[in-house]
Amino acid sequence: MTKKTKPVVYADRRFLDRLTAAPGFTSVSASVISIIVGLILGFILLLFIDAGSSFLGMSDLLTYGISSAKSFAKVLYKAAPLMMTGLSIGFAFRTGLFNIGATGQYTIGAFFGLFAAIMWKFPWWAAILIAMLAGAVWGAIPGFFNAYFHVNEVITSIMCNWTALFLCNLIFMNTPGMWLNPSDRSRTISVVTANPSGLLPRFGLDKLLDSSYANIGIFITILIAVIVYFILEKTTFGYELKAGGYNRHASVYAGIKSKRNILFAMMIAGGLSGIGGAISYLAGTVDYTISSTSLLPMGFNGIPVALLAFSHPLGIIASSVFIGYLQVGGEAMQPEFSAEMVNVILSIIIYFSAFSLIMRGVVRKFIKRKEKKETPETPDAPVEPPVTESKGVEN
Amino acid sequence: MDFIALVLSSTIAYGVSLLLVALAGMFSERSGIINIALEGIMIFGGMAGSIFLSLMANSTFAENAPQLTVLIGMLIAGVSGGLLSILLGYAAIRLKADQTISGTALNIFAPAFAVVFVWAIQGQGLTDIPLPRFINLNAASFGIDPSEIPTWLNTLLFKKMYLTIPVAFLILIASTILLYKTPFGLQLRACGEHPQAADSVGINVKKMRYSGVIISGVLSGIGGYAFVMTSSNSTFTANVAGYGFLALAVMIFGNWKPISIMGAAFFFAFFRTVSALALDERMAFLPKFGLSNPEYLYNILPYFITMLVLAFTSKKSRAPKAEGIPYDVGKR
Repeated sequence: MTKKTKPVVYADRRFLDRLTAAPGFTSVSASVISIIVGLILGFILLLFIDAGSSFLGMSDLLTYGISSAKSFAKVLYKAAPLMMTGLSIGFAFRTGLFNIGATGQYTIGAFFGLFAAIMWKFPWWAAILIAMLAGAVWGAIPGFFNAYFHVNEVITSIMCNWTALFLCNLIFMNTPGMWLNPSDRSRTISVVTANPSGLLPRFGLDKLLDSSYANIGIFITILIAVIVYFILEKTTFGYELKAGGYNRHASVYAGIKSKRNILFAMMIAGGLSGIGGAISYLAGTVDYTISSTSLLPMGFNGIPVALLAFSHPLGIIASSVFIGYLQVGGEAMQPEFSAEMVNVILSIIIYFSAFSLIMRGVVRKFIKRKEKKETPETPDAPVEPPVTESKGVEN
Repeated sequence: MDFIALVLSSTIAYGVSLLLVALAGMFSERSGIINIALEGIMIFGGMAGSIFLSLMANSTFAENAPQLTVLIGMLIAGVSGGLLSILLGYAAIRLKADQTISGTALNIFAPAFAVVFVWAIQGQGLTDIPLPRFINLNAASFGIDPSEIPTWLNTLLFKKMYLTIPVAFLILIASTILLYKTPFGLQLRACGEHPQAADSVGINVKKMRYSGVIISGVLSGIGGYAFVMTSSNSTFTANVAGYGFLALAVMIFGNWKPISIMGAAFFFAFFRTVSALALDERMAFLPKFGLSNPEYLYNILPYFITMLVLAFTSKKSRAPKAEGIPYDVGKR
């Protein structure tokens, strides 16, 4: 605190202290610990299922993503939409909202992106804009109900997810131009045949990485992540949103227009998910298939992406690539083990990261206690600067 | 008449799993813990019960006492659900972790684990568990000749009848009594409204919250088991079609009260039935608005109506005051 209480020993520890006290370090170390625990427990489960193939399965999971340029291209292909839904959920987390509706916004974005590309022959960038707008509208619904009617956004988002799915199915069934062919309505017609200009450009990346999965999607999403970081950390608007996330009542007391901000935050979150949907399906590698019983998993996969990065936009870049990497590795584990193994590991990671705040406290206590022992002449050990705790949901 | 009987029996069949899981959510939230993991716990319970039933498929025990087997399966589903919910309770109560995040972890865990586990025991790529046929309750199970009773009565009672349906109604009655007529229920509700006050009169808040979460786990496990039978063509697929999340909406719609929850559950189930039967020729009176596949429109309806109802009744909402807030002894 004051200069007097700074002992000489503290100077030796200055680097370590500064490092451990940095908000980023504690978050990253908590995530790394959770990841290691998740991988170990996942491996134990593999041992129980089939000890013989467990080593091969685990090494597939951990190395397949970089085993060839082809598989790395697939990692990036998966990471791009994950990053968008992760940003969407993370952005909402930072403003004190839980956007479990990312799936619905993603679906709406994917569908309207495809609709613009196939029916209106829009170029790819215009289709992405349409997807963003559609996602923003879909995000605005729970935002509006939360801000003006005090209905919990989790409930309205869940309902919007299913409504999105059914609405897209309804529009699809009534738009013959989007069918694969008149007799097959199980999926959309491929963008490649309907409107080649609607495809995301590849700029030779597909030749470089020898994979049709390669496109510029990942670069667009990284750019958006940086923009989101800028909005949250460097603008007054972002400051207001975060203030509302920390303490809604205090922010209202300080004169921040809380209702408007909730609505805007959900619109931005929805727009981000919508872009994710368009980027995923305008790649031209996977067609949109019609289902009436299950939601697209991508929106839910954004939750671990956001949590692992403690909702930090730049951290989300890393965590989405990591999770995309695991997903590609998980597919390589088949047929001995199901690719769902990846989600088991992810769920363990999230479970442990949920109480990483406590783990962080334990680490801090440990460091303090050690210091006390070594510096008996100063009874009150140096107080570390306050750590900004990036907490997930504020209730 | 036959058609009305069909609609009614389908509504009841769809409604019971929603009812059970919404009651599950109610017990947890009334004790102060938001249980967003209902979906995952349903899948976990449904998996355990389905594995048991498929193991018993050709046994003599099941042949002699089919409904007893179904009942044991239900208990197994309930116990597995209860066990999984302890993980949520531990994170939320002991470690005071964020309840939404740990619940989400369970929601990701359960379906993935179910696929991995069933894949491991059934062989590569086989992730569905078809339930044996003996689980159906039909007229013959009661020694009644189906030709002796009118067709509509047969449809109403036995078209989609499983042991889980009467049990669900018993659980509803038991829940109402437990929540409103016993000291336990009063203490549980107190912990969800004002845990500090409850503690000050000697109620063990942690114990009550664990009880709420575990009851919630048991009920949603049974709800998942009921779902596999009634709403999933008697096949376990590691997917409960969002019923766990829908149950949360039903619970809020039902204002955290058992009887209202029942009403809300059957409201949703009715629309689900209507959309499932929308293409039936006997439903020709339904407006189609010139659309092909209008069933999707009817799928949207219950969500749409619920949102409007929630918007206009949110002022009267009776949500437990302390839900989602970890209990802190030192807090005033």
